[in-house]
Amino acid sequence: MAGEGDLRTSAKESEDDLPILNAENLQSNIKSVYYSRTFLSIIGGVVAGIWGFTGLTGFVFYFLVMAVASLGLAAKAKFSVNKYFDSWNRILIDGVFGGLMSFVLSWAFAYDIVHIF
Amino acid sequence: MAEDLVLDRAIRDWVLIPLSVVMVLIGFLRYFVSKLMRSYQTPDRKVVKEGQVVLRARNLRVAAGFIPTKSFWSRRVYFTNEENGLLHVPKEQAQNPQAQMFSDPNMAMDMMKKNISMIVPQTLTFTWVNFFFSGFVAAKIPFPLTHRFRGMLQNGIDLSTVDVSYVSGRSWYFLNLFGLRGLFSLILGEENATDDAQRMMQMGGFGFDPTKSLSAEKDSLDIIQHEWILPKMEKRAEDVLKKLLK
Repeated sequence: MAGEGDLRTSAKESEDDLPILNAENLQSNIKSVYYSRTFLSIIGGVVAGIWGFTGLTGFVFYFLVMAVASLGLAAKAKFSVNKYFDSWNRILIDGVFGGLMSFVLSWAFAYDIVHIF
Repeated sequence: MAEDLVLDRAIRDWVLIPLSVVMVLIGFLRYFVSKLMRSYQTPDRKVVKEGQVVLRARNLRVAAGFIPTKSFWSRRVYFTNEENGLLHVPKEQAQNPQAQMFSDPNMAMDMMKKNISMIVPQTLTFTWVNFFFSGFVAAKIPFPLTHRFRGMLQNGIDLSTVDVSYVSGRSWYFLNLFGLRGLFSLILGEENATDDAQRMMQMGGFGFDPTKSLSAEKDSLDIIQHEWILPKMEKRAEDVLKKLLK
């Protein structure tokens, strides 16, 4: 069962009780989650910079963006995590801290260019 | 105390943007250079053979339920049998790959080349940044840090009353270094030469893998309790059909 649009492919075989996962598809799903999160961190950083968030507000905004991303990813996976991933952590938690550095960079960049320029 | 400094527009044009652009370009350069230099690496035939054997054994282990018991046992004996089983490695051979990896000139050269291609651009860029972009405020980071970071972030600025948010060029370099990793992974495809720790792990696991994974596979094959799932299939088909018809 291939997903429409992005690279999501079903990781599970047709039997329901044997938990067999197709490793390649699982890997590709995880990679697409990682790419989406990185992209969203960069965009979120630019938005935070333009809006002039400083200090804690910016970090709160980042985690808000990540939460919305998790919600979107879960919705795309039709809320049944076993069909596309092996555990909930993959969609919800993985990659949140990896995107933090990209967020901070683009946040600082945008903030400087817009507000101190 | 935290008055807003007005910074010259020229700093934006000539410091922030060129530094980011240079780092992105160096990242591209490093990626392509490592791609070009990676061309001559013929894998050892023995290593490939062992890798394939491990793959076969793993497939057998994972799909054990699909074949009848006797055929599973005959396959398992083929792999784990003491005399000529494929997974059984005699003790003296177990030490070899380790010694081989350290004395093999090819491997050592490869590791050194990869180290150099990582460290040299970083060192060069850092020196360049320090030479040109020190001694003035380069950017303002949007979140406040404590005074202990002052020495790290404001290396050229000797005024102690300036807010810690105003940082020098060196800290902009470090911020770029970490932040551009995500960007590179988006643009250049899979995770490339920008992550040190990952590559160290990859390099370390290359030579040791065969013997350890062979014995690991042998052990895991030995402990499998085989159960043929065909007898259960009829019952499961019946359950599924019942569910569908409800």
